[in-house]
Amino acid sequence: MKNWMAIAALGVIVSHSAMASGNPGRGLELSVPCQACHGKDGNGVGDPQYPIIAGQYADYLEHSLKAYRSGERENAIMLGFAQTLSDQDIKDLAAYFAAQQSKLGDLDRKNVD
Amino acid sequence: MRLISVALLALMAAAPVLAQTKGDPAAGKVKAYTCTGCHGITGYRNVYPHYHVPRIAGQNYEYLVAALNAYEAGTRKHPTMVAQAQSLSEQDIADIAAYLANTTNP
Repeated sequence: MKNWMAIAALGVIVSHSAMASGNPGRGLELSVPCQACHGKDGNGVGDPQYPIIAGQYADYLEHSLKAYRSGERENAIMLGFAQTLSDQDIKDLAAYFAAQQSKLGDLDRKNVD
Repeated sequence: MRLISVALLALMAAAPVLAQTKGDPAAGKVKAYTCTGCHGITGYRNVYPHYHVPRIAGQNYEYLVAALNAYEAGTRKHPTMVAQAQSLSEQDIADIAAYLANTTNP
């Protein structure tokens, strides 16, 4: 009985840590539909209407996908894709694209008059 | 001569369209000062909900224009960004987007 409870507790901890951060490897597997517009690594396919998502903050990507999924951010194409995704799928996709190299950066205050 | 006049007229008609859609990065640099209050602080986070303010330096011009227009129209609902976008003219948006797209700070 004690062993069973320990295993159950471990299971809760493992699933909780899996929820806490995304798995980039699984994100890559899930990213096939994204690649048509955003490119395999999130740097796009040459059409500038689509944002660069490589190197973007993971938690912002996660927030964006959830906003598309709920319809708060209105975009018919992204709504369709986002509605197929679970919270964990979104975390994994965000972790994958955030980890890719890109030219995105924060603004530099010193460079702005 | 007639051909030249027609060509000139065509250019004059096209010029305002180009000016509106192109954006001037130098003008945008000045207008982007307000943006740095949130987007110019590495690691700065939005609150309620809590997430990093996105990286926008180096982003695509067309996407940035669309994003600012969506905030202005209310199809994107972040209150601060809606207020900012509604204070901007079409030319301001083009200029800011041109500056952001042309600057990189990885």
